[in-house]
Amino acid sequence: MNLSTRGFLNAAATLALALFSLAPAASLAQAATDTDQWIHIRVISRDAKGEVVRINVPIEMAEKVLPAINKDRLHDGKVRIDSAQVKDVDLHAILDAVRTARDGEYVTVQSNENNVRVSKSNGMLYIIVTDKEHAKNAMAKEDATKGTKTSEAVESKVEIKVPMKVVDALLSAGKDELDVVAALRALSAHGDTELVTVKDAENDVRIWIDSKNATE
Amino acid sequence: MLLLAKVALGLGATLAMTTAYVFHEGVVRVDVDESRPGGSHVHFWVPATAVSAGMRVAQFAPQHPLEQAAEQAKPYLPVIRAVAKELQKYPNAEFIDVTDAEQHVHIATVNGKLRIDVLGDDEIVHVQVPVETLMDVADRLEDASRSAWAEEWHARHARHAFATE
Repeated sequence: MNLSTRGFLNAAATLALALFSLAPAASLAQAATDTDQWIHIRVISRDAKGEVVRINVPIEMAEKVLPAINKDRLHDGKVRIDSAQVKDVDLHAILDAVRTARDGEYVTVQSNENNVRVSKSNGMLYIIVTDKEHAKNAMAKEDATKGTKTSEAVESKVEIKVPMKVVDALLSAGKDELDVVAALRALSAHGDTELVTVKDAENDVRIWIDSKNATE
Repeated sequence: MLLLAKVALGLGATLAMTTAYVFHEGVVRVDVDESRPGGSHVHFWVPATAVSAGMRVAQFAPQHPLEQAAEQAKPYLPVIRAVAKELQKYPNAEFIDVTDAEQHVHIATVNGKLRIDVLGDDEIVHVQVPVETLMDVADRLEDASRSAWAEEWHARHARHAFATE
């Protein structure tokens, strides 16, 4: 083998080694699959600043990271509920009653300030709250700053849609705790779901789950 | 002539290997530009391997700077490790995007690197850190924290033994 051939082989070997070392470590890591579920949070503010917040978190990541946070009421992926907050309400008994009951509307409250509807359908729990008072206050505040009068008020509407299995998982930790990690696990198994939408004069909030890794 | 060629080839190969090793983890990049009068402009990049190597060397420094840092970061280390480990699974993803009239904040992973971009009216910040480096930093800090604890335990044990003698 002459010198130039040996030199070429040496250089080729060096280059191959260098390329191997430079290969991105990410490709070696266990890459996320397309079926991974993501929680998306989108907040669009209607004020002059026009703030838009978009947060995308893989559910699996949240499941792994949450147990590592031990602060205040959050520990091991569970949130401790103050017994004073729950007072004499037995959440488990209420949930059990809702679970075993047939599909339909359970609570309907209509007043000048609020309309509240709680219903169950096809394994989903629906909570819809329409806050008329909040809208009136927001419009009055806006009128005061602008010095104008607005007759029409935009209602604040909160829609929450939670799979019953997720509620079960959330309450699976015990009487004084909410198991957030178990709820996340149940959510990821459930597939694409619209969880929360809030629409009022100030903000437009949407929380949903799908398998895309970026907000629409 | 032949000897010179061999020496050149050896040097070239060594240089290539060293460069490959130094950059195999990627580069930590920080750019800060303040547009106000007298504002600072900081631009630097460091091979991520140098960060890891620097932290290993810092363990032997007499003042134990790493142990002090580890002590301060101790409550957050499990979270940093968990986040870094999980981020490795998402080499290209968008996590946070906040836009308002004055600022735009964007946090994402691009080709296995964590990128934080802040575009403000009076300040522009770009930070890019390979996810692997985050993991390495957390590991080093955890090691330092453990060794600090071990040292304290030995010192206490020695004091107790001396007092009982």
